[in-house]
Amino acid sequence: MSHLRLEALTRRFPGAPHPAVDGVSLELGQGALLALLGPSGCGKTTTLRMIAGLEVPDSGRILVQGRDVTALPPHKRNMGVVFQSYALFPHMTAAQNVAFGLEMRGHPRADRAPRVQEALNLVGLGALAARKPRQLSGGQQQRVALARALAPQPDLLLLDEPLSALDAKLREEVRDEIRALQQRLGTTAVFVTHDQTEALAMADLVAVMNEGRIEQLATPEEIFERPATRFVATFVGRAARLAATVTQPGLLRVGDAELRATETPASGAAEIFIRPHHVRPLRDDEGAENTLPATLSRRTYTGDLVTLDCATPAGRLIADLPGGSPGADLRVGDTLRLGFRAADLRVFPA
Amino acid sequence: MIGLLLCLPAALILGLGFVWPVALLARISLNRTTDMGAMEEAFSLETMAKLVEDDFTWELAWNTATLSATCGAIAVALALPVALLIRSAPPQWRGLLSLMAVAPLLVSSTARIVGWMAILGDRGMINAVLAWIGVVDDPVRLINNWTGVRIGLTESLMPYACLVLIAGLGRLDSRLEEAAATLGATRTKTFLRVTLPLAAPALAAAFLLVFVLGVSAFVTPRLMGGGRVFVVATEIFDLALETVDWPAAAAMAMLLLGSLGLAMALRGLVAKVAR
Amino acid sequence: MRILAYAAAALFAAGPALAQTGGRVTLQAYAGIFKDNYTQTVLAPFTARSGTAVQYHEGGTSAQMLGTLRAQRADPQIDVVIMDVTTAAIACAEGLVERIDAATLPVIAELDDQARASGGACGPAVTYDHLVMVYDTRAVTPAPTRWAAMWDPAHRGRIALSAPPNIQGLAMTAILAHANGGSWQNLNAAMPRLREIAPAVQTFDPNPDGYTLILNDQVRFATGWNARAQLYRDQSQGRIGVVLPEEGTVFQINTINIVANSKNRAQALALAAHALSADAQKAFTERMFYGPTNARAQVSPEAMARTALAPEFRSRVIPLDWTEMVRLRDGWNQRWRREVISASGR
Repeated sequence: MSHLRLEALTRRFPGAPHPAVDGVSLELGQGALLALLGPSGCGKTTTLRMIAGLEVPDSGRILVQGRDVTALPPHKRNMGVVFQSYALFPHMTAAQNVAFGLEMRGHPRADRAPRVQEALNLVGLGALAARKPRQLSGGQQQRVALARALAPQPDLLLLDEPLSALDAKLREEVRDEIRALQQRLGTTAVFVTHDQTEALAMADLVAVMNEGRIEQLATPEEIFERPATRFVATFVGRAARLAATVTQPGLLRVGDAELRATETPASGAAEIFIRPHHVRPLRDDEGAENTLPATLSRRTYTGDLVTLDCATPAGRLIADLPGGSPGADLRVGDTLRLGFRAADLRVFPA
Repeated sequence: MIGLLLCLPAALILGLGFVWPVALLARISLNRTTDMGAMEEAFSLETMAKLVEDDFTWELAWNTATLSATCGAIAVALALPVALLIRSAPPQWRGLLSLMAVAPLLVSSTARIVGWMAILGDRGMINAVLAWIGVVDDPVRLINNWTGVRIGLTESLMPYACLVLIAGLGRLDSRLEEAAATLGATRTKTFLRVTLPLAAPALAAAFLLVFVLGVSAFVTPRLMGGGRVFVVATEIFDLALETVDWPAAAAMAMLLLGSLGLAMALRGLVAKVAR
Repeated sequence: MRILAYAAAALFAAGPALAQTGGRVTLQAYAGIFKDNYTQTVLAPFTARSGTAVQYHEGGTSAQMLGTLRAQRADPQIDVVIMDVTTAAIACAEGLVERIDAATLPVIAELDDQARASGGACGPAVTYDHLVMVYDTRAVTPAPTRWAAMWDPAHRGRIALSAPPNIQGLAMTAILAHANGGSWQNLNAAMPRLREIAPAVQTFDPNPDGYTLILNDQVRFATGWNARAQLYRDQSQGRIGVVLPEEGTVFQINTINIVANSKNRAQALALAAHALSADAQKAFTERMFYGPTNARAQVSPEAMARTALAPEFRSRVIPLDWTEMVRLRDGWNQRWRREVISASGR
């Protein structure tokens, strides 16, 4: 039995032309972390708020451990929510913030103190229990919010863009902490983000959302390597996009060149997505399923990666190479051959 | 420099409209009134001393303070749900609702009091209903007494309380209440443990404002008190315009101003200590 | 200039054949209906005869008029003022208005004794008004004749009285003191009656006034000043009844004064002389039913019957000395608050 199950959840805001969430269904197993990924306005936050009970769906059902909670108000669901701006109670200390949920859920006073301390220790803030939120740094506030959400041992941990208010360096650190904690406690979690790196790095499952619908629900690898739709291919990761025509199944005409792909539509106009890390310069004696002559038009060095921007008969192609690998020392204007596998082409009908 | 210049008109208005009249009042309060009512130029605290020694002055002070404290507290308590409602209303309705909450300010106080007569009078709406139900034989006295003044003053203070609370609660993050709900707090618990404590500064500011307005309120005690309600403002009016005892009226006004200043200073002190 | 003005005044005072004084003069007096009627019956003829334009400054209450005089002490803009005798006494004591006698203003000789005495050393009485009982003729039948009618339990809650320091309240108290104790100063004699009626009183501070409260069905009885009450009676087509009760009444007196250091003293004196003249007094009484202070005024019997100077009413006027009242006022005020209003049980 799945731990969380959404059935055709739909929510339309009064006066809005399109539903904010349009028939979202998914299942999540015990202990898994699901990332809802999408651009702003895609309905990911509304979906999360419906799970928390802060928003009421127009139709559809929400089941937690098989129990229908759709009609329950938020305080009767057992959810731990970490809000985007943390929403810590400014008039309470860190400890009081964490104790609040325990108190509301009827934990006896004597039982509360050790659990508060435990929760704060868990996020490494045991020493700052007596501080008010305004006396804590952004990262510390984040951790208090996490401790507060986790202390009552919720059925589900819901995180709404929990890292967006942190600076880049801290973000990575807290991201890994959250993931480690979630796995250690075995808490099932749903996590909303617009940042694909976060989603791919943390989640067991990623649901890419667009205009209220789930475009693809799959593992991070699947999402990245085998995007199911053009939207997913565009939104997640970088890709060279080439207009093409399917001449016969498995064969495409792209500009003046011909390329092979493992999966293509039967015929007609198509668009090809090729991820930069699938493309590499070929040595003179080397072959590939697809090869194209190219001229290097721009080279970008970012330390661990060298990005080659190349003009080919098929159009513009990008290749990411590890720094120091063969081809990384090419100069603008040099000619080369680019190669990539037929299986690495994603082809969608145009 | 430019900032100072821009403040000039306000400073000028404040100077002409407040500081100068108050200085004049202070000067007049040092004069004396002869037993036949004439004002004598003097530099003495005699008039002030006579007021301070008079029990009636303290009765007036007590009346005024309790009246404005009671009405102020009720006005704030009544304004709170209004402000909360407006806060939770869809944004496009908030402006209109706020306007409605403060609309009574647009009605002249005289017109408002005529309205109250029709409602609270011995043969007004409420008494008509009570008599029709058969609850009372004699009309309930709801106006021309303290009750009437309390009702009228509370109503006249409410828009100010609303104004302050709407502004104050607007800054209160609604996600805090959502957070409380997700942590298992019922609506009541959320209100008591989160909304109310966070609204406390706004409530205090609203109370202070309406208290001060209540202390200086004249029209309502005068027009709805039926001559039975004695507060500092009505007494100043009587002294100035019935008995024409300007020194006493001025001295009482100075006492009132002084106590209000003291109240403000105390509040500031309390706030500082509390922090 | 000053000499010239004196000369003009002397000339004017010399006889009814008025010199053309010309110029202008500013009068401060009550606003509203008083202004309208006074302008028509007194000021317009004055201007026609003397060529002096009269600027009418609406003064509000007497207390406010005194305030204006105090504020303008250094540079008076007002030349003549008509106000209540108690306030005028203050103005007189403070030197805001001129001391005056028959030598400066010969018409004073024509006034009755009380009118001459009223102003003390300053200007004499220019109008008499008196306290009346006003009532709702639709609700009160038969027509009441005594103040005691207000004590009828049938009218419980329908009475409007003014409490001191309002002068109607002081006047009412004096009348009760006189009726029950033989002297208007005998406050102790009035108190039991006041305590008795207190619970029946709807308001001790009728706003805007008792006449309006009657017309609005708020009360049935109120106190009022005769002149205004008579006008309300006419305007309300008899809905408002006016009685000069058998227990008696007291005068409210307005005096006319020349403002000290008036810039138009000659014209001011001329205006005062005209206001006090038999003709002007007659005209104003017939218009507004203020009692004339000039003994020679030949007021029509119909108008006279509506003032306190009618033969049948004259004896009911209790000789109240407002100067003395001002000294008693604070004590009366306190006892009202402690014993009457606190006993009013609302």
